[in-house]
Amino acid sequence: MLELRPILSALWQSKTAALLIALQLMLTLTIVSNAALFIHNRQEKIARPTGMAEKDILAVNFSALAKNYEMPAAVDADLALIRSIPSVIEATHSHKIPLSGSGESLSLFLEPNANKGGFSASYFYVGAGVTEALGMELIAGRDFKATDVQVGDHTSRNTLNAVIVTQQFARQLYPDAHAVGKYLYTGNNNQPIKIIGIVARNLGPHLHQAMAGNTVFFPQLMVVDGSASMTYLVRSEPGQLQEVFNQLEGKLRVRDPQRIISLRTLEAYKKRSYRADNTTIEVLATVITLLATIIALGILGLTSFWVSQRRKQIGVRRALGASRRAIARYFLIENLMVAGTGIALGLAAAQLANKVLVMYFNQPALPLPLLLGCALILLVISLGAALSPALRAANISPALATRSV
Amino acid sequence: MLKMHKVRKSFRTDTIETHALRDFNLEVKEGEFIAVTGPSGSGKTTFLNIAGLLEAHSGGQYLLDGDDVSGLNDRQRSRLRNEKIGFIFQGFNLIPDLNLFDNIDVPLRYRGFKASERRRRIDKVLQQVGLAARAKYLPSQLSGGQQQRIAIARALAGEPRFLLADEPTGNLDSLMARQVMELLELVNDWGTTIVMVTHDPDLARRAERNIQIVDGQVADLEYHANPAALSA
Repeated sequence: MLELRPILSALWQSKTAALLIALQLMLTLTIVSNAALFIHNRQEKIARPTGMAEKDILAVNFSALAKNYEMPAAVDADLALIRSIPSVIEATHSHKIPLSGSGESLSLFLEPNANKGGFSASYFYVGAGVTEALGMELIAGRDFKATDVQVGDHTSRNTLNAVIVTQQFARQLYPDAHAVGKYLYTGNNNQPIKIIGIVARNLGPHLHQAMAGNTVFFPQLMVVDGSASMTYLVRSEPGQLQEVFNQLEGKLRVRDPQRIISLRTLEAYKKRSYRADNTTIEVLATVITLLATIIALGILGLTSFWVSQRRKQIGVRRALGASRRAIARYFLIENLMVAGTGIALGLAAAQLANKVLVMYFNQPALPLPLLLGCALILLVISLGAALSPALRAANISPALATRSV
Repeated sequence: MLKMHKVRKSFRTDTIETHALRDFNLEVKEGEFIAVTGPSGSGKTTFLNIAGLLEAHSGGQYLLDGDDVSGLNDRQRSRLRNEKIGFIFQGFNLIPDLNLFDNIDVPLRYRGFKASERRRRIDKVLQQVGLAARAKYLPSQLSGGQQQRIAIARALAGEPRFLLADEPTGNLDSLMARQVMELLELVNDWGTTIVMVTHDPDLARRAERNIQIVDGQVADLEYHANPAALSA
């Protein structure tokens, strides 16, 4: 039989300790649930698809040591060499590396010679076969061919005539119409740039910006005066990246030894971009673990204290007919009442704290299932912490009732 | 009511084995009032613990109400204690956090009675011990004698057939001791079997029968033909 009223009476006699634990639980739930929300959002952000097969893509950078380096010829020769490696699916050149945190953006307009009301997007100057080289899903139109690609620099925008855009960006440009075949313009320019393809997704270079996913690709080999650097994006067959990595560096060095070559996977760039998020997750997870440990130790300590303080009383209860199970149940219910009070207060406090975070720190609202999940976990931790002392209490002999100490 | 035949109880440490009870034989009949005396360390408390199912005996046979209690598990022993045996302790052993009503309620809850039945029984025993007006008091608000009367009320609430009292007047002055003793005699008159452990020879003489335990065995049985006359 549940002894709720007598347990409440007993708790009332030790109300300060019980209240402190309840308040500790309230604070813990407030912090843990909001920290868990923070972690959840960061994890969702990290887990969102990039639109590329980054696990199978290598970014190859080189800087030529020779002066007056003949870049277009070198790129053609390098790409031919790279494509000859059996496990390579496709390769292209690019003036920036996706997911790297380093990139450029521009405003595009629906009308010529406009300078207001543009649409912002990150852009890449790339070569033929970019959708295949990045493993992007082409959902409309076509990929760039070699004949689309012009050689130029930043001043060559007024000669661009083709672009591939992401679906996200296309929907912003033309919410109600099919974008392929439509034209865009760079600012203060009347050179029409035809949308020839739409890819499902590409997060671009900047993963943390609100415009991530507004990405466009122009067909141009970027050749900057005074610079002899280039980047290739090379996609291998799934699981063959290491093999391609091993072959590529050596082959490129043999083809032209007068270059500094570095290779890194796109996955590594992604990891670097999310490093701060991952660190935040680790710190918050540590805080949550510490808080859960502290609350567990607090409950363990308090319940152990109550058990040791009431040894005689437990013996008397046993003598009066309490079974071991009844004694264990008594302490678990007592703990449940304290933990339940703290968690009930915590549910309200967590939502209040979240409202402040939403209002002043632009954080998302705390979903009820997440809050209830945290509450349930804390309740289980509380009961788990009380279990050992409760079982110890259950093993107290009823003969203790007749002892004088 | 209670029959012990060659009951043994020994405690063992790494190096020493102590025999608290050795071939202990005793029979207590229904409705008897027995006083158990003996020097310290003679085995009185061990006898009380075994008789009250607070401890298991090491050997021999113990029949309570005709049933052999050897081999009962914790749950069965707890239920038997709760239903058949009432305890009165020297230090009263009331639960300090609970008021008098709730203290008396403790064994009744373990018995599984409904709230209305528990209340009826508690009201009745509080009347019997003359403390009905103080049901909401905490034990610390009562005198020693009053606390022991509540302890007796707690023992009686379950209407046990067998009452075990461990030095029930040991912590009381003579006036209060006499009141408690009179209450126990009244309870015995209602038909409850009482076994009382005491150091006090005057109290022991008021029982029907006096058993002296020495070195874990019954050393002497003394019968009082008319215990009521002694208490007069």
